[in-house]
Amino acid sequence: MRIWGRPKDSGLVESISLLALHLLEGDFAHSFAVPGWIGLALPCVKMANPVPSACCMVLAAVVVVYAQRHSQPDSHTQFERVGADVTMKCGSMDWDAAVTWTVNGTDIDESHLNGSYLILKNVDLSQSGQYSCYEGSAWHLKYQTTLKVGTPPREPVLMCRSNNYPKGFYCSWHLPTPTYIPNTFNISVIHGTKEMVCEKDAVPKNRCHIRYLQLFSTVKYKVTLTVTNALGKNYTTVTFDEFAIVKPDPPESVVAKPVPNNPRRLEVSWQNPSSWPDPESFPLKFFLRYRPLILDQWQHVELSDGTSHTITDAYAGKEYIIQVAAKDNDIGTWSDWSVAVHATPWTEEPKHLTTEAQITETTSASTSSFMAPPTTKICDKGAVVGSGAVAVCWTAGLVVAAYSVLFI
Amino acid sequence: MAGADSPSAALRRRDLCARGIRLAGKMRSDVVDLLDAYVEQQGLDASASVAAVEGVPPAAVERWDEQTGTQRLLENLAAYRAFRGLLAQMLEEQREQLGEADAALGRALAAVLLQVSAFAYHLEELLRLESRGPPSDEGDGPPPQPQSVFEQKLRGLGVLRELAQWAVRSARDLRQLAKPGPGAGSAPSPAESP
Repeated sequence: MRIWGRPKDSGLVESISLLALHLLEGDFAHSFAVPGWIGLALPCVKMANPVPSACCMVLAAVVVVYAQRHSQPDSHTQFERVGADVTMKCGSMDWDAAVTWTVNGTDIDESHLNGSYLILKNVDLSQSGQYSCYEGSAWHLKYQTTLKVGTPPREPVLMCRSNNYPKGFYCSWHLPTPTYIPNTFNISVIHGTKEMVCEKDAVPKNRCHIRYLQLFSTVKYKVTLTVTNALGKNYTTVTFDEFAIVKPDPPESVVAKPVPNNPRRLEVSWQNPSSWPDPESFPLKFFLRYRPLILDQWQHVELSDGTSHTITDAYAGKEYIIQVAAKDNDIGTWSDWSVAVHATPWTEEPKHLTTEAQITETTSASTSSFMAPPTTKICDKGAVVGSGAVAVCWTAGLVVAAYSVLFI
Repeated sequence: MAGADSPSAALRRRDLCARGIRLAGKMRSDVVDLLDAYVEQQGLDASASVAAVEGVPPAAVERWDEQTGTQRLLENLAAYRAFRGLLAQMLEEQREQLGEADAALGRALAAVLLQVSAFAYHLEELLRLESRGPPSDEGDGPPPQPQSVFEQKLRGLGVLRELAQWAVRSARDLRQLAKPGPGAGSAPSPAESP
């Protein structure tokens, strides 16, 4: 019987391997001499015929492989910069030991080896992975590490804003470029000499919020964000006063409707943003912009109170796009524009059904999309007397035509 | 005089508050313009931090939302009375330093001083309506005089910055006061409670 390993001082792998060997050699009597493995060995001891013996051999093989795979050396993680040269040692193996390196289970070509050391030059992101080193032909795992290739952090981008004044403000941040390795962010907020706590939001993770302890202060806030990873650190600082960062969310529930029997009016209404906590004490003013879809230029209206407005100069029959923004009456900046809404002013029902084809075949100025101003008079040939009256009539006709061109 | 809670008093309060809010808004706008002109004319750095200056009432307040109406009025009145004295002193200093060299700045200072005085009077009216009456205007005497010209300039910067903050705070305070319901008016002091 060949004894493999050192029975008295066997480590876990050696113990299991010893057991497996005993089982393989049919040495059932000795198999349970291996400490701690009696439960596994006893069923095999009881078996005496060939079929269960084969079973035991399979079991032994499984045990050996399992032992080798799961009784592992400590796993490491190492972070390296993109472009760096990396040298990996195979644990405590000598330089001249015969080893095999794998990455994510795939053998690494020997050309990357210097003795038992693995050399990776000018690493890139694709070389991140799990590197394992096995001893000789026995495939004894000697060393394992997870290589993570990344970059140190660049200066982060930090923004602070109060959309719920006067309750507080929030700060959010991000990195201008990814580092591809984990980063930790640390934020500090100082108001005068006082350090304030910025409570991190669960979602999103790159945000924290602060409650105002004082209002109407001239003392500035100083917020510093530090980002750290295994390859370096960076930071940025923003300084601002209480009023400067106040920016409400856009108005909500913007609705635009035609006004019956009014071809040039649109009624627009909206609501204060739900994040604004006290519009009664901290009223908002609004900025409304609108344009027909066919034109690029916006019309603007500023409204100091109220949450509705009637547009009175819409082009008849034209579809409009409308948006609203909000701002605290006294301080801060305008919100982003609200979600756009579309509406078309009321138009009179046509007297007969008109198909699309019929509209496009119409050669005269399309009466369905243009309504002459009420003061316009159309010349009646039957009423014309004398050349002077004809000239006046044609002039009026030209004026009407010019007006039509403007409104189409 | 009508009781503080009578309908006519409530209407009068709302009217005074509305006018006061407009006055505060105009005052703030003028103070911001004056601040820009002052910084330029005095050769100061607009972003310079100015430590709290003695005699300049800070607008900063904790637990602002918990203040009673009377507290708001009293703090506002004390502040604007102080600003009245400070602006008068600034006007005098500016005339001594520059004479007629920058008459526009002098006129702007005088205009703001007038608005501050008017606002202080407005607040006194509101306090009378609260059946409290304004405290006497004896004050603590004239504000302390800065030692050097540079200190004068820095103090002037501090005065105008705080005044701009106060104008915003005052508008907010008056809106709170104008709200119907409890808490908008004054809470009775222990001596006055039945």
